[in-house]
Amino acid sequence: MSDEPETPPMDRRRFLTVLGASTATAAAVSGCSTSRVEKLIPYLVQSEDQVPGIPTWYASTCTECDAGCGLHVKTREGRAIKLEGNPDHPVNRGKLCVQGQSALQGLYNPDRIKAPMVRNGSAWQEIKWDDAIARLAAKLGPAQGKVAVISGAGRGSFDDFLGEWTAASGGKMVRHAPHDLEAVRAANKQVFGVDALAAHDFGKARYIVSFGADFLESWGPSVENQRGFADAHGFHDGTMAKFVYVAPRASLTGLNADEFVAVKPGSETAFALALANAAGAAGLSQYTPEMAAQETGVPAETIRRIAKEFAAAKPSLAVAGGIGAQSAGAAELCAAVNLLNQAAGNIGQTVLFGADLQSGDGQAALDALAAGMDQGQFQVVLVHEANPVYTQPRSTGFAARFRKVPFKVSTAMVLDETAALCDLLLPTHHALERWDDARPRAGITGLMQPVMEPVFTTMATGDVLLKASQKAAGPLARFNAPSWEAYLKARWADIARARGSADADGFWRESLARGGVYDEPAAPAAVKVASAAVTYTKPAFEGDGEYTFLPHVTTFGDGRFTNRPWVLELSDPVTKITWTSWVEVSPAAAKRIDVREGEILRLTSPHGSIEVPAYIYAGLRDDVVSVPLGYGHTEYGRFAANRGANALDLLGPPKAGGFLPFVATRVRVERAGNAYSKVPKTEGVPRQLGRHIAEAMPLAAAAKGLSLEEWYKGIGEPLGEEHPPVEVEAIKGWRQMQVGRTEGHGRRLGNYAGDHPMWGMAIDLSRCTGCSACVTACYAENNIPWVGEDDVRKGREMTWMRIERYWEGGEADKPLEARFVPMLCQHCDNAPCEPVCPVYAAYHTVDGLNGQVYNRCVGTRYCGNNCPYKVRYFNWYKYNERAFPAPLNLQLNPDVTVRARGVMEKCTFCIQRIRGAQHTARLEDRELKDGEIVTACAQACPSDAIVFGNMKDGDSRVAKIKRDPRGYHVLEDVNTRPAVTYLAKVLHAGSGQRAEG
Amino acid sequence: MRKLFVSVARAATVAIVAAFVAGTPARAQQAPARTADSIAAPVIAKGDSAKLKGPRQPVFFRHDLHAGAYKIQCQYCHYSVAVSNEPGIPSMQTCMGCHLVIGGSDSANKAEIKKVRQAWADKKPIEWTRVHYLARHVHFPHSQHIKAMGPVACATCHGDIARMPQVYKVNNVNNMGWCINCHLERKVTRDCSACHY
Repeated sequence: MSDEPETPPMDRRRFLTVLGASTATAAAVSGCSTSRVEKLIPYLVQSEDQVPGIPTWYASTCTECDAGCGLHVKTREGRAIKLEGNPDHPVNRGKLCVQGQSALQGLYNPDRIKAPMVRNGSAWQEIKWDDAIARLAAKLGPAQGKVAVISGAGRGSFDDFLGEWTAASGGKMVRHAPHDLEAVRAANKQVFGVDALAAHDFGKARYIVSFGADFLESWGPSVENQRGFADAHGFHDGTMAKFVYVAPRASLTGLNADEFVAVKPGSETAFALALANAAGAAGLSQYTPEMAAQETGVPAETIRRIAKEFAAAKPSLAVAGGIGAQSAGAAELCAAVNLLNQAAGNIGQTVLFGADLQSGDGQAALDALAAGMDQGQFQVVLVHEANPVYTQPRSTGFAARFRKVPFKVSTAMVLDETAALCDLLLPTHHALERWDDARPRAGITGLMQPVMEPVFTTMATGDVLLKASQKAAGPLARFNAPSWEAYLKARWADIARARGSADADGFWRESLARGGVYDEPAAPAAVKVASAAVTYTKPAFEGDGEYTFLPHVTTFGDGRFTNRPWVLELSDPVTKITWTSWVEVSPAAAKRIDVREGEILRLTSPHGSIEVPAYIYAGLRDDVVSVPLGYGHTEYGRFAANRGANALDLLGPPKAGGFLPFVATRVRVERAGNAYSKVPKTEGVPRQLGRHIAEAMPLAAAAKGLSLEEWYKGIGEPLGEEHPPVEVEAIKGWRQMQVGRTEGHGRRLGNYAGDHPMWGMAIDLSRCTGCSACVTACYAENNIPWVGEDDVRKGREMTWMRIERYWEGGEADKPLEARFVPMLCQHCDNAPCEPVCPVYAAYHTVDGLNGQVYNRCVGTRYCGNNCPYKVRYFNWYKYNERAFPAPLNLQLNPDVTVRARGVMEKCTFCIQRIRGAQHTARLEDRELKDGEIVTACAQACPSDAIVFGNMKDGDSRVAKIKRDPRGYHVLEDVNTRPAVTYLAKVLHAGSGQRAEG
Repeated sequence: MRKLFVSVARAATVAIVAAFVAGTPARAQQAPARTADSIAAPVIAKGDSAKLKGPRQPVFFRHDLHAGAYKIQCQYCHYSVAVSNEPGIPSMQTCMGCHLVIGGSDSANKAEIKKVRQAWADKKPIEWTRVHYLARHVHFPHSQHIKAMGPVACATCHGDIARMPQVYKVNNVNNMGWCINCHLERKVTRDCSACHY
């Protein structure tokens, strides 16, 4: 020691501190300088609703899909910055999915059409609204009887109006919903004589079988389904429902199943009929388990066992349909499932008729309209909130027929494929900018109100049509309401009268504040079997390829969400791929084709050919390949256009009068030379490799109340690494060293003195489905920039909250099991990131947070290197400048710093919400209440898997959950002492690696 | 439970009766009665404002007259300072609340008030030059400071505004040491994440 100088001239830490200081000075020129001139621009008239710095909330309704969830829109200084679910709304109960939350990026999309435009040769020319309306009116007058309308708007006053308006103009209107559950409706009509969709109570079911119905993603109201599913399938009171997924490919829904039964495509009907037969449905005696086994390729014992389990559980629930099961025989499948539910006594229990969920007019109606266009029946076509040129497969020839209409008008917000073929663009208001209502099902009417001034010079289509009708006169003249708002209010006055309210204005205001009118759900309508004649037709596929082609729906729906960076950057829940499309091939098929991940495959069907990079996926039959829908736009803005391949190009046209069969072609699969494109995915190693990240235990053990540690002891395996006593001793003193805590006296040292809360989180993995709504909520709340395809390839994504998906099994005889783990900063008590920061940017706050002070950070990235959870993200480029092209920047949360290049960032447990709630409590001279602070992820989670609160308060919800015997910390053996407790997933016997024991 | 608001007809917020304002002749006002402890604001001749400290504003708004001589409470105009992070700046309507009637006592004042009335008539808000602003990575909750130090706390950071004909920066609010000194003195939090997040 003696040869060491007493004061080292400049050690590394000092050097970096000085370096940091000079960087800060340089930054000061732009950051803190007084030479910058800012303007303060006052309101002319202060709106009573708006107080600067305080959010104003409006109730509204989500229009992103047909579910019709209720919204609470958070606005700050007159602009919407966050969407949350409306807790009073019976469909979503305060929760919201990825797509619903991303509506803000639809509102502020930089590619929105900014004003009305008219086609001028091959270019577009901006015109004034008066001119645009005059042009429309001039065409409408002479086109009497020759007007076609294609509308994607859900049911509601506007849909009614559009229907009446089209009828008055002697035209024809088609409600186009590309991913409609047409087969389900057809089967309901066939079996029960009810041409409507039923609601489903997943929460009540004790046993769920899904035949390709991806109810957590794209089948029905996914937020409602997921809430019910988590209630039923989440471990509670020593029990949980069982879920079996029967389909050729495991979707996200399939990966949440306890048992994934990979049947031959199109053979699900045989399986369902065998179950119905076993459940006692009459006239199905020929559908034995053996017969079904032969058709489906599943052992007869499996079918017999599932049939037995299904019959034993009361009530149970079987669901079918959706894109993944929409083969030519999909109506038969859904009819078989109807018989199954009827035989099992589920009708009126878990299958609730009378709700009459909204749906479109079907493919046949659109085909008829297109035929009319082809024959020159129409002079004018108006397309509203629909993009049939993209959503109809090329083989239908829709675009060519559409082109034949002399005058084509679109109200699209973004120039999509259909709008690009039009002659006049009349961009409509976004749902957050206009008055409107929605009737997603019987008894529920949601209202929409403008929560802000329109971003661009757009106009609500209701107003456009009213004005044009007055100009066109003739039979349209009767639409004489002064504005769309007045028209809507008049209708609501009728509603008020019908409901016996004398004060129409009061009723309107009350409904607006509540978000709409929600009646108590009526008793489910009784239905009788009208026809039990259900047969099974052996599936037939077009083409001579070796593989059946199975397009699947991912986060992009029918392609309407592909222009939103939040959705593009969000990794696909199954494959973890971002920004581009892919083709899934099973490991055996990959061997046969001789392909590895990222190598480009060419898929050829009789109708077309696409080239996409391969992704090897074990949750897929060997005779099937699967491509996500929603990619391959040719228009639709800078984010969507020319991204990935359009899976629809491989599909054939529907049979006359039928729905569009998505699973109907066979494809040839071959390598496209030696082409390779690294797949941009956010995944490192897909296996846990014994790291104890995503834990699971069998139901038997969980029901006994065994802790994870006890259970591991029972099977003779250690839970993590063993520590020598000296290490245990050292770690014991850590917390005292750090915060100077003495038992019973609060903390004593410096800034840590006094009594403080201790923030913590609990995440129940048996409720988490991996849906990723929390991820998007985090992006929206915390101003997280997207980094783009290339930077994701380099591992530079900025997902403060991410869903890790680990595979278990999947080889030879072991069932494939997926484990989803929401991974965020663990706010470790003994955080490895803190001591390595040379500038104290990473430090521990008094209330137990792992703080990150951006303005201290100099970007050494030591903290990121030292973090075992890899939850610290480095801001490599000026993401803050390139990720929010105007007007996307208007969405930014003013309570959160927009980080610049060169700093480390990470989850803060939504510290802005913590501080905000603390400030409010202090202003009101009261203590914080448990549940008052809800992080963005916990707020959004449709499964309610995430709970946040003060761990020190023993009565808080989070403290109670943390005492659950299933609780564990990820990487506990590295002694980080995380503030996030996970509750182990629970497995039914036979369902996964850890299921027995 | 969060309070939910209801959109009103959007036109209503801009439907301002501006016409008669423009036509109102600026009546000569009596010199205002001053209470004993009000601060005498100096007469500043036209053109002299160039010598004053602080950035030149589009309208020579005199805090020393309004807050000093007339003793108008800060919160009359900076209305949200006690309830929000943001103090708020008065809307043009607030200005016109008085200046619909008050036209100014001398020609210099009259000229400035005329600008305000013109802006109101044109529906073009005045673009003030900001004097105090924090770096974007600092969150300063005004309401908490008013709560802790009372409604007269403004001067602690902003200086004696009531004596400033033109507002200038007395303290560099972006100097963190200056914040910390106060927090040390009063023994309140010095946790980084109290302000930086």
